[in-house]
Amino acid sequence: MKRREVLIIALLFIGSAMAIFLPDTKPLKHIIGAKQLLYEVNKEGRYITTDEVAKMIMEKDPSLLLIDIRSPEAYKKYSLDGAINIPFNKILDKSNIDYFDQDVYTTVLFSNGSSLADEAWLILRSYDYKGNKVMKGGLNQWYKTILNPQKPADDELTGALEKQYLFRKGAQIYFTGATPVSTAKSSKPKAPSKPVVKRKKKEVTGGCG
Amino acid sequence: MGPLYPQELLNPEYNLLIGALIGIGFGFLLEASGFTNTRKLAGVFYGYDATVIKVFFTAALTALIGLFFMHYLGWIDITLTFYPKTFWIPTLIGGAIMGLGFVIGGFCPGTSLSAAASGKVDAMAFIVGVMLGIFGFIFTYDTLWESLRKSGNMGKVNIAQWIGIKEGLFIFLFTVIAIATFWIFQKWQDSWKQKMSEEDINDLGI
Repeated sequence: MKRREVLIIALLFIGSAMAIFLPDTKPLKHIIGAKQLLYEVNKEGRYITTDEVAKMIMEKDPSLLLIDIRSPEAYKKYSLDGAINIPFNKILDKSNIDYFDQDVYTTVLFSNGSSLADEAWLILRSYDYKGNKVMKGGLNQWYKTILNPQKPADDELTGALEKQYLFRKGAQIYFTGATPVSTAKSSKPKAPSKPVVKRKKKEVTGGCG
Repeated sequence: MGPLYPQELLNPEYNLLIGALIGIGFGFLLEASGFTNTRKLAGVFYGYDATVIKVFFTAALTALIGLFFMHYLGWIDITLTFYPKTFWIPTLIGGAIMGLGFVIGGFCPGTSLSAAASGKVDAMAFIVGVMLGIFGFIFTYDTLWESLRKSGNMGKVNIAQWIGIKEGLFIFLFTVIAIATFWIFQKWQDSWKQKMSEEDINDLGI
């Protein structure tokens, strides 16, 4: 045999002998395609509303994992109950990957508005990490809807909207410790608000007749 | 250009151009290394020339070991590579027919094209035969071969998983088998050289 052939055989032999000690092949973590990413961005399935988050916190849902992606300073000033702080520029750190690349928790990312959390979601999703959500509207929306819910106009206060408002008032008590008395008062007038409309109608019909 | 074109990293024109350049290079190397000589390919069946089996096994092993390590290093996802389902009966029959064609013609489909390009008339005749075979198969695909095509379905299998051993161990065993094959064919070739006269060997032109 020629020297070149011996060399090739030796290399193949060493290479394959080393292969014995390697683990079996499993799919690598791969970056998902641009098409899929664009589809999911447009679908908006990544959003979770502040109401849903509030409900999960109040129900002490064990699958909820809140992640504040703002700066540590902002996190110290105010954040949601039980949220952990992973600043935006640290989301891809190796030590944090276990939070994002898992399917046990529903990870909810939030920032002051939606955009920073959206950007974080996009980066994480492009690495094919699943199960991450974005709290729509961020902490601004949280303040508007949960901490300081605005009472809808009386004539709108029916059905789903009324239910939502009542829930938010309840959540407000839960999160801020606001006195429940005020909500009792504000919720009572809702019931009479319908008869008031009826009275008006009667007056009108009477006038016409 | 497997991974680049489907990912839209390469436009169709460049894809064709690069394909043509690689094809020309491949054909040139086949010609330059003597594979367009029919006696070289047939030699592996008669035992007087072991080059082809060495080249094939070395290429397969290099790709196998290389891909396996690249997967381990995270450079390439081997699970994304495509391989078809195994239908062992038609594969065996088809392989035997192809092997018979190798011995009779002394070309494989690739070398016949580069041999024809360098003006070998037997290669042109071989290509006509290849085309007849291809078209003959296409036109009888649904009528004659239906049951044969679907026989011996094993699904998508990987030999290591099928036997139930570690993939790395399979690669090692396969390498050992290849090296043993090299050795046997080399001995066979050497015994031929003793039997053949200098003139006979020169006449083969390999």
